[in-house]
Amino acid sequence: MPEVPRLSVRDIRKSFGSHEVLRGISLEARDGDVISLLGASGSGKSTFLRCINLLEVADGGEVWVDGEQIRMVQKGGRNRPASQKQVDHIRAELGMVFQSFNLWSHMTILQNVVEGPVHVLKRPRAECVEEAHALLRKVGIGDKADAYPAHLSGGQQQRAAIARALAMKPKVMLFDEPTSALDPELVGEVLRVMRALAEEGTTMLVVTHEMGFARNVSNRVAFMREGLVDSMGPPQEMFGAGASPAFRQFIGHFQA
Amino acid sequence: MDIAFLSSTMVTLLKALPVTLALFALSVTIGCVLALVIVWMRVGGNRYLAAFAKGYIFVFRGSPLLIQMFLVFYGLAQFDFIRNGPLWPLLREPFVCAVLSLALCTGGYSAEIFRGGIRSVPPREIEAARAIGMSGFLLVRRIIAPIALRYALPAYSTEVVLMMKSTSLASLVTVWEVTGVAQRLISHTYRTMEVFLCAAVIYLVLNFIVLQAMALLEHVLSRHLRAAPPAAKV
Amino acid sequence: MTLAVTAVALLIGAVLGAIVAAAKLSGNRVLSFLGSVYTTVFRGVPELLIIYLIYFGGSTAVTAIGQAMGYEGFLGLPSFAAGALAVGIISGSYQAEVFRGAYLAVAKGELEAASAIGMSRALRFRRIIMPQVLRYALPGVGNVWQLSLKDSALISVTGLAELMRTSQVAAGSTRQYFLFFIVGGALYLVLTSLSDQVFDRAERRANRSMPSAMGQV
Repeated sequence: MPEVPRLSVRDIRKSFGSHEVLRGISLEARDGDVISLLGASGSGKSTFLRCINLLEVADGGEVWVDGEQIRMVQKGGRNRPASQKQVDHIRAELGMVFQSFNLWSHMTILQNVVEGPVHVLKRPRAECVEEAHALLRKVGIGDKADAYPAHLSGGQQQRAAIARALAMKPKVMLFDEPTSALDPELVGEVLRVMRALAEEGTTMLVVTHEMGFARNVSNRVAFMREGLVDSMGPPQEMFGAGASPAFRQFIGHFQA
Repeated sequence: MDIAFLSSTMVTLLKALPVTLALFALSVTIGCVLALVIVWMRVGGNRYLAAFAKGYIFVFRGSPLLIQMFLVFYGLAQFDFIRNGPLWPLLREPFVCAVLSLALCTGGYSAEIFRGGIRSVPPREIEAARAIGMSGFLLVRRIIAPIALRYALPAYSTEVVLMMKSTSLASLVTVWEVTGVAQRLISHTYRTMEVFLCAAVIYLVLNFIVLQAMALLEHVLSRHLRAAPPAAKV
Repeated sequence: MTLAVTAVALLIGAVLGAIVAAAKLSGNRVLSFLGSVYTTVFRGVPELLIIYLIYFGGSTAVTAIGQAMGYEGFLGLPSFAAGALAVGIISGSYQAEVFRGAYLAVAKGELEAASAIGMSRALRFRRIIMPQVLRYALPGVGNVWQLSLKDSALISVTGLAELMRTSQVAAGSTRQYFLFFIVGGALYLVLTSLSDQVFDRAERRANRSMPSAMGQV
């Protein structure tokens, strides 16, 4: 029996008004895959990621998570999810890390981390609290459990947000430019945590501008251009001689 | 100054205090529940309910409370079906009419305040909640309501103080609360200044207590906005 | 009549409000204490009580003056004057806070810039502070106007034939309470929504030097 992909996305399309942002994107992530999505700003990377967990609703295409397809219906001339319940259940299986952390400001770090397991997954609180402490230690902020988000640095907040996503025991982690809002000296601590996750075999889809991460941590790199996947492959190939001209030009900007 | 007169006035007025407090507590409670219903209609996404809520807010905020109260007290009694209806024993009571119109009015004002609170909830924090699989009532209860409450609190405490003052209008539909009794004392004794002083002190103390209670609540709900506590010694 | 009472009250309130705001901002302990007492008392006590105070208290005072001048008997304060004064005093306490907030909103940097080019204190006040205070205060004054418009209904207790009193009399004499109070209420709605529009337009004009988003907080 062939292995079921953790995440499978087929022919996703999305327009904002007359502007076609995604023109048919397909991607598959198997267990343990770490895929870096690269591309110039405006190439639709973030929109693509947000279409996967339906923070944006795509105009067409399919999303499968662990062999389960998100059912869509046409309603009022627009594509919509058929069941909010299924959407919630799928979202709980996809961990999302945002560019601007989006921690809940009125809760402590610990409360942020246990919120999902306790109230969405309805698991016993004591168990979740214990796991949350372990996760916070893992991302290196074990001593910040009782602090509020506003009291933490950006790097610490982002690591807390990663712990919050991990607490749901997601099948796939989605990272939407996790280091873009950070001061340069704080980027490293977040990348280290992400690298550790990758080495543990976490399935990850990462929208990023960090070439080092794409090259050294991910096992596949996808380059998006004008709403399409321009080229995709293992980093050795992509950063080696086989690169497409457009990708070569793109990474040229970073080396300059 | 005539201390004996002042203290006897104070005693007379304080006897009416329970009526004022009952008007206040009942109308604020009912009005708050009403406001929640209206704000739910206003932002719930149903076009007709939203239009109704908008109209409700417009009417009750745009006209004087006194006219609303008279409408309930004198206006309703004009209709036979209400006079013969099952609610008449209640609606005939001036106290019930006063509470009803106070609650209806503050419902409109509070709904608008709560809506402001909801609008100031950062969309990003809502998005983060959606991303872990929250929706519907769970999302409102765990994320939107607590944040919105915190933002709405300063405006709401002003509204609560206004309500305390508005209970005085009940005297005009023959409910003998503090202002009504004060007015009667003034027209009997013509010692306006003294009676006013006593009544003013009562209202100022009441409002002071209300504001302190609200400030305390605000303090409890703003832990996350204050500077970090000094690191605990291990 | 409702509009006239409210307009006069707003003017009285503007003068009182400016004085009280100045007192509160003066830095003089006694003055700012008195200012605080004024705003606390008149915002914390029911409007109806204040109307009684002015109406009855005013009449007592006028009678006393009349007696001192040799006139025997009771002299009433005209209900228009009493009503306008009472609502004016209340709106003054709200306007004082509006003006104070507006003054504090004027950026410190702009004042320093004015001093730096050698403007005198008076010139600074007239050229830099006043125009900006007016702009910042406009939405607040709009709110106070709406508040005063509705407070003016309370003046009906003094017998002044404004909108509220007129509906009441009509309702009482025809026994058509519901009809006349609905009509009265509708007229207030017309007044409040019309004045809303007027203030909206004024605000947009006053904000013409600001980026468009500033007007809508």
